[in-house]
Amino acid sequence: MPESAWGDKIMKCESCNKKHATVHLTEIVGAVKKERHLCEECAQSINTQLTKIPSPTEILTSLINQVAPEISEMSKIVCPVCGLSYLEFRSHGRLGCPMDYTIFRKGLIPLLEKMHGSTQHVGKVPSRAGREIIRKNELMQLRNELNKAVEKEDYEKAAELRDRIYELSGDTSEDQ
Amino acid sequence: MSFQATPVKISDLADNTGEWLRGTGPESDIVISSRIRLARNVARFPFLSRANVKQKKELEEVVRDKIREAEITSDLRYINLAEINPVDRLFLVERHLISREHAGGEGERGVAFGRSETISLMVNEEDHLRIQVIRSGFELREAWKTIDEVDNKLEKKLNYAYSSRFGYLTACPTNVGTGMRASVMLHLPALGMTHHIEKVFNAVMKLGLVVRGLYGEGTQVSGDLYQISNQFTLGKSEKEIIEIIESVIPRITSYERMARKALISENKEQLEDRVWRSYGMLKVARMISSEEIMHLLSQVRMGVNLGIINDIEMKTLNELFIFTLPGHLQKLEGRELTSLQRNIIRAAYVRKRLEKAESLKG
Repeated sequence: MPESAWGDKIMKCESCNKKHATVHLTEIVGAVKKERHLCEECAQSINTQLTKIPSPTEILTSLINQVAPEISEMSKIVCPVCGLSYLEFRSHGRLGCPMDYTIFRKGLIPLLEKMHGSTQHVGKVPSRAGREIIRKNELMQLRNELNKAVEKEDYEKAAELRDRIYELSGDTSEDQ
Repeated sequence: MSFQATPVKISDLADNTGEWLRGTGPESDIVISSRIRLARNVARFPFLSRANVKQKKELEEVVRDKIREAEITSDLRYINLAEINPVDRLFLVERHLISREHAGGEGERGVAFGRSETISLMVNEEDHLRIQVIRSGFELREAWKTIDEVDNKLEKKLNYAYSSRFGYLTACPTNVGTGMRASVMLHLPALGMTHHIEKVFNAVMKLGLVVRGLYGEGTQVSGDLYQISNQFTLGKSEKEIIEIIESVIPRITSYERMARKALISENKEQLEDRVWRSYGMLKVARMISSEEIMHLLSQVRMGVNLGIINDIEMKTLNELFIFTLPGHLQKLEGRELTSLQRNIIRAAYVRKRLEKAESLKG
């Protein structure tokens, strides 16, 4: 290996193998340390590849950008029923009242997805709620029939259906 | 309809045991008990962390009255936990009638349970109501049948917080949906001895199940007793969750049996020596710590299952696991004891129980 004026060993660029290596890089991947000796030109092209790896600051910034919408959007939300804020919930992990599931819904859905791998209940339905669902379905069906009856100008049937709809929806006002 | 007229004395309970300790039921050599709990809350009330003293009191009264009106069993009794002392509460924890959180909680709260201690209803725990059913052996399906009926009776009286999207609404989102935690308590000494237990845990965790110690979340494993329960409560039905656990348990029990067989065929004398030494220690020791007794009882329990020891009943052994715990010993003695005093009384109590068991067996 030839020596420079200062007595350093002069290396050739290990990439192009033509010019003198003036840039010396140390890469550490896992526990393996690797030294690279390159000329300025080759180093430039490799360097642009290297800069593609995000720095810790960049990683943090992108993380904050991901979380920020949730925090900034949800942080102002306070449940009008129990007074719990979304941020308080996030720091303690406990909700304040059943209404929070509605108020914090937007923040809760990704959280539940992460916790349970799902956001839709498929288990037991209390019979009260069950009755409610049955009644809603029935009402929907009656309204469809009513529309059909009106289309067909069967007003006698329409009047009958209307009365039944009144009867059924009358119950709800008491329950809700 | 009312609760049992006579107020319950904790010391009366100390003479009996819960039915789940009988040591009977399917696979009861390895599966000690099957337990299911449901978390429920009352609509239009805040969860307990946001409830003030007045609301807590009102909740306690409402839920307690509705439990009574629901006519769950004829022998249901109710204990107000705010009115009893910490040793009594510890006793109820050891009996699995209340949780550690419930015992250590604040304010108006209570528990209702029947004479057999199969059903327990915790009022103002983390949720307004926690229903629990424990059965001896591997009987999750039967436990579900019972708890489903109790829940049906209660929902006629109480307006539960429920949404069609998220199911039963709970204070902690980790319980939302079914609000159900189904768990099975297993005794796995041979898998521990042969260092295969880690493999079991890894396999179990991949199925969305969790392994815990004797008293649930955050408790240490002792006496080779493990609780396996579901982690997810949302997105799967109660039946599906139970089926997952039901499919896993027989594989673990047969794995444990294989490990026991292997121990016998390879190290018969060593295993027998270990079992008999543990038994001997229980019969002669003058002081036994709570940690040591769990280990000794675990060895002896396996010895009985393998036919090495024939003069003790499984029920006696299962009971000893619970009766030698600090709360039970203090209740039996009727006074508070230091750790040193407990070790002495624990040893004396075990000696007495084993002498009695042997003389009965003849």
